[in-house]
Amino acid sequence: MKEIIRITVALTISCLVAGTVMGGVFILTAKAKKHNEHLNMQQTMLGLLESEIRGKPGFSTEELDFCNIYRYIIEDKNKTYLGYVVPAEQDTGSGYELLLIDLEGRLITRHRLDLLSERAMEEQDRAAAIANVLGSHEHARYAETMIIAKLNDQRIAYLLPGKFPGFKTFIHVMAALDSDFNLLGLEIMSHEEDPGLGGEIEREYFKNQFKGKSFEKLRLLEVIKEPLPEEYRRYLEREVSQKDMARIGKEYQDEDIHAITGATISSSCVTNGLKRMVKKFVYRIKILDRVSL
Amino acid sequence: MPATTKTNRQLFVNGLLNENPIFRLALSMCPAVGISTTVMNGILLGIAVLFVQVFSSCTISLIKNYIHPRIRIPTYTLTIATWVTVIDLVLAAYMPVAYKAMGIFVRLIVAFAIITMRLEVFACKNDLWPSFWDGMGMGFGFMFGMVVLGAIREILGMGTLLGYDILGFRPILFFVLPAAGFFTVGFMMAIFNYVETLYSRRRKENNIV
Amino acid sequence: MTRAFVHKTHSSAQVNHYLRIVIFFISLLLFCGCRTDHRFVKKAVFKDSHEIAITFAGPVDEAWAENMANFSVYEKPDPDILSDIRSVVLSPDRMTLTIHAKEPISQEISHKVVLKEIISGGVSQGTAYLTVKKLYIGHLFSILMGAMIIQNFVFSKYLGLCVFFGTSRKKSTAVGMGITFTIVIIAASLMSWFFYQFVLKPFRLDYLQLVVFIGLVSLTVQGVDTILRKVNPALFKAFGVYLVLVIANCIVIAVPLILADNEYNLWESLMLATGAGLGFLIALFLMSCVRERLEFANIPESYRGLPIAFIVAGLFALAFMGFSGMSLF
Repeated sequence: MKEIIRITVALTISCLVAGTVMGGVFILTAKAKKHNEHLNMQQTMLGLLESEIRGKPGFSTEELDFCNIYRYIIEDKNKTYLGYVVPAEQDTGSGYELLLIDLEGRLITRHRLDLLSERAMEEQDRAAAIANVLGSHEHARYAETMIIAKLNDQRIAYLLPGKFPGFKTFIHVMAALDSDFNLLGLEIMSHEEDPGLGGEIEREYFKNQFKGKSFEKLRLLEVIKEPLPEEYRRYLEREVSQKDMARIGKEYQDEDIHAITGATISSSCVTNGLKRMVKKFVYRIKILDRVSL
Repeated sequence: MPATTKTNRQLFVNGLLNENPIFRLALSMCPAVGISTTVMNGILLGIAVLFVQVFSSCTISLIKNYIHPRIRIPTYTLTIATWVTVIDLVLAAYMPVAYKAMGIFVRLIVAFAIITMRLEVFACKNDLWPSFWDGMGMGFGFMFGMVVLGAIREILGMGTLLGYDILGFRPILFFVLPAAGFFTVGFMMAIFNYVETLYSRRRKENNIV
Repeated sequence: MTRAFVHKTHSSAQVNHYLRIVIFFISLLLFCGCRTDHRFVKKAVFKDSHEIAITFAGPVDEAWAENMANFSVYEKPDPDILSDIRSVVLSPDRMTLTIHAKEPISQEISHKVVLKEIISGGVSQGTAYLTVKKLYIGHLFSILMGAMIIQNFVFSKYLGLCVFFGTSRKKSTAVGMGITFTIVIIAASLMSWFFYQFVLKPFRLDYLQLVVFIGLVSLTVQGVDTILRKVNPALFKAFGVYLVLVIANCIVIAVPLILADNEYNLWESLMLATGAGLGFLIALFLMSCVRERLEFANIPESYRGLPIAFIVAGLFALAFMGFSGMSLF
């Protein structure tokens, strides 16, 4: 009996010590983790926008402003609305508004949200602020984030983080569109495709094929199984001279997407996923622009 | 086994070569096959395992007198799990890219037989310093194995080393494919076996002479 | 002889009994999958890559079916974006309606179909909001097969290799290990799922998951050990040796981690755990068959033992790559 008590006490103490150690480390690292994730995201966004902003006069990274729009699906008893959390453009300083839009694209109401801008990144804080302004029988569900990049209060690009099913599991991407919805670039954030096959989607020669496609072309983009022409591949991997860049870029402007050898499914998953993502975004941003003006 | 009589250097070399966790003891094979596609992966997971092994060995050798023999194994598991969680959290916070590359394997260090085995065989009977060096040896031995495998697969499969293009072409794409991990490990083990037979034969001949 | 016969009929009756339970559950699930939200609509299913078929309880009016404004289809997560409908076709008996969309419908995502003011025999039956999704049992089955064969934990995810190579030398050991492992992993995963969903997640203790999961695994092993020893000593003698080895198998800790990462529900968790266990059993069995033959083969000296086993496993892994990307249902 004494033995059992001793064993139990010893086990409890070791569990407590272990728990304290882990808890301590968790508290120490949680902040750094968030910070680094944010930094990583910021870098990806800047990388995608690089070609677009480099040419602009008076550009500096500080002037670039990212404003996030969060989309929610709000369900009433028998009616569904879309809720957009957008930065409020009022004189009262930084704040957020919730726009309720019905399925036909008409603005229903605007609610002022009690949400500070540094808190808006946190999903839980957002959810609490939204729950405050909504009625008790309305239920909000977070859907996605869209990012508008502004330079001197002028929209220069849209950034869309998104995910779609790939060959194995989900592929997380970020796409960048310019203000006319032409594709500026595509970045693969994470995926679990096979290395050497589907894993090639993160290589330059695949990602860069999407760069510079116009919105009209993107809507009809197909995946073709022809081998990548050598000249085009060098262009995609940025191994040709400045002079040739423009020429080859023009020549292959409306080229469809060449599938990766041995990974046609992964290639078409990315292409189709991106097509759907951009189409939906363009539809929504147009409605949002119309109602919020 | 009584407390070891080996010097620290012998302990270290022992882990690196004679009792190499991957090629000789054939323990912790999962990462050796699963994520040895590049040298970088090998180094990163190697570092993680090294830390867990050294910290766990030291912890156990420090508290070995207080551990009740009946709850020996649960205590080992708890110690390892704690250190793995710590490494996992730190990696996720400060090295997000590397963490993503290693996927679930960091957290699976918990189930690596090599660490539990070293605690049971070595750390619970020895003092802090020998345990530390034994842990170092095993950790570096594991890293060495992973780096060798990674180098073979990276050079043959992608023509690169540590991400730098050194061949300019891809000799045998097959080696990057996940299934090739099995073949590479098999070939390496066979080479180790071959070297060992050569050595023992030569030793025998020397003895006769 | 008679005794043997009696024993046999007894066991076959038992099998029948189990079969009945399984069939009951399957039909329950099928029933849940087919139910619709409206009393006048019997069934709403995906038909082709472009079509959704709706079956009514009675004939509907042609005039109603011809008015395209009565129909709208959208993906459940995107209620504001309607799919373009090319045509709506009513079958000759006026019971089945086929909605043909312009663009392919992704069956992975559940769709909503809205039928405004269904008119049958001049009488309005009200508006129907239907959810069209893949059969849930199909989804579960695909998780099971996925974990078992397509994404086999040993040959496609490279987990549990130490135990795999250690116990695949003989067929009898392989089967023993496989069965023990399947039982333990199902019990341990379900316990981990409960703990994760009802303790760790609500209290935001996610970072403790590793310790809790490995603790639960050891607890399960200890529990199975004690129960087996008391209930069936013969079985314990056969399988007891493998119980200790289960803890050293990474699959047993990987499955709870995957469950937690993917937020699976109870049924999905059960299927994944069963699939992982059976997949390990299959892998062990295949491997042990080959290795028994290898005993008699003339293998170069340095390849004897583990190295050749690794090469064989590599060949298996290549073969299993053929399954990858396969989707059932």
